[in-house]
Amino acid sequence: MNAKKLLEIIDLKIGIPHPRRETLIIVDNANFDIGYGEMLGIVGESGSGKTMVCRSMIGTLERRGAKVFGGQVLFEGEDLAHAPESQWKKLRGKAIGYVPQSALAGPNPVLTIQAQLAEALKKSEAKGSIAEQSKRLLDLVKIRRIDTVLKQYPNQLSGGMRQRVMIACALASEPKLLIADEPTTGLDVTVQSQIMELLKEIRGEFGTSIILISHDLALIDDVCDRVVVMHAGATVEVGSVSELANPRHPYTIALNQSRIDIAEPGSELVTILGNAPSVGEWPPGCRFAQRCIYRQSDCSSGEHHPPLFGERGSHQSACLHTELLEGAR
Amino acid sequence: MSESIIEARDVSVTFGSGVHKVEAVKNVSLTLAPGEPLGIVGESGSGKSTLARVLAGLQPPTSGQVFFNGKPVYKGNKSYIGEARRQVQMVFQDPYASLNPQMTALSAVAEAVRIHNKCDKKEAETKALELLKRMGIAQLDAFKKPRQLSGGQRQRVSVARALSANPSVLLADEPTSAIDQSAQAQLLNLFHGLLTQGLAIVLVSHDLGVIRYLTQRVYVMKDGVFVESGDTETIFNNPYEEYTKELLASIPGALGAAARKKRTA
Repeated sequence: MNAKKLLEIIDLKIGIPHPRRETLIIVDNANFDIGYGEMLGIVGESGSGKTMVCRSMIGTLERRGAKVFGGQVLFEGEDLAHAPESQWKKLRGKAIGYVPQSALAGPNPVLTIQAQLAEALKKSEAKGSIAEQSKRLLDLVKIRRIDTVLKQYPNQLSGGMRQRVMIACALASEPKLLIADEPTTGLDVTVQSQIMELLKEIRGEFGTSIILISHDLALIDDVCDRVVVMHAGATVEVGSVSELANPRHPYTIALNQSRIDIAEPGSELVTILGNAPSVGEWPPGCRFAQRCIYRQSDCSSGEHHPPLFGERGSHQSACLHTELLEGAR
Repeated sequence: MSESIIEARDVSVTFGSGVHKVEAVKNVSLTLAPGEPLGIVGESGSGKSTLARVLAGLQPPTSGQVFFNGKPVYKGNKSYIGEARRQVQMVFQDPYASLNPQMTALSAVAEAVRIHNKCDKKEAETKALELLKRMGIAQLDAFKKPRQLSGGQRQRVSVARALSANPSVLLADEPTSAIDQSAQAQLLNLFHGLLTQGLAIVLVSHDLGVIRYLTQRVYVMKDGVFVESGDTETIFNNPYEEYTKELLASIPGALGAAARKKRTA
């Protein structure tokens, strides 16, 4: 490996233990990394484990009853997979900022924006009073009428404004890594593009590494440098945006073909067969095999999901038969 | 103009009064031809959902009238229960909120079949299963409750329920905003199939990508009025209003990129 990475996820395995039944594995074979100042997109269907992997990066898995069962979460070389809560308290909201999925439910409804920001700023070491810093943060996320907004409650703000406030909170302590989990679900396309512009500017100005989780490949294409594709708890393909234009995994190929921004109006869209296998019902071998149109006899024969082939950091795919995909795109 | 199946004439909807008065829809007129795919696009708060409810016969307009096959839909400020009630069906944005959590997909659809077709329970279930199958819901999944289904499946159950009335118009309010990309492709293919069977679809969305894919004519709505309307392809290639250009430039991916280029050029 060449350049030093900010965060590396290596063979991560996450499960939900149960007192009587077997542990339910929800993420297995998650593998990717993010460099300094890089913008990384994670795509996958609902239930593919995107959010759980993110929770492992902010240490809130246990709040959902889940636990890391194997692998590493290296943040600046330090393994956080089994870090105690005391260590997380030093990192969370400080070196790592998190923007949750639901902008509308994100902010605490009974706190004013001022109080909201004050709480986020508690850990900040920057100079200046909390009031000054709050104003600076709101200015950063391009909120106008700052003095009015500070006195308002979340329900008085629009969805886009609320999400900006959430981003401001996450930026309070100038984190090295900002994780945005589907930050624009439920927001208008116009607001979505403004939020994306904002994320790009933040990256440009502070060199913050940003992880953007989304199910919209088109959106990720627009703003990210590299893309991680997840399916049924495993990373199936990693590569730069341009490399992913020539996908090496049948799942990514299918995802690309179901994009309506590329499709001819009225033409039939390619859909992926069936549904992603449910957690706890993963088949042996490749977990995509049953939905795959290129399936071979050996795809389901292995006991484990195929690993990512190729050198870490390059264009990697977890498909056993990439040779069959040539010319299929 | 050819015969229209739905015609809205000078429809206005006002909520509240005094300082709280909100004019959601202001003097809007539109026509829908039988079997036509029509798009209504706009940001949230533009009044597009209210308009959809008016067209569906669910929201009496403050002034103006909606005609279904030439007959008025509303009498005074009450909806006039006529043919339109059955013929115009709506699919809502959030399938999780619009399906009864206690009922299986099959019983939710069978209930609607039973009411609309006045048949007995057995017959209704057979018909419901057939409908669900057409929507790509396997028999195994038909016996599941909404929480056990994926978002895309739930939305297809909602469509099946709307179709149980054998409607001639389907009103879909943001049907794809709560589901992921591959589920969206499935639903759009489904809508496409329904169009070829002669069903008219009104697609209400803020996502111009979906509108472009499915419709041939589109109304662009802002602050309760139509600011631009016409042929979908023409509006995509030559938007006139600044608002439309902004909406176009916001589409993620290749489509939006082209519009952004045009804007800066």
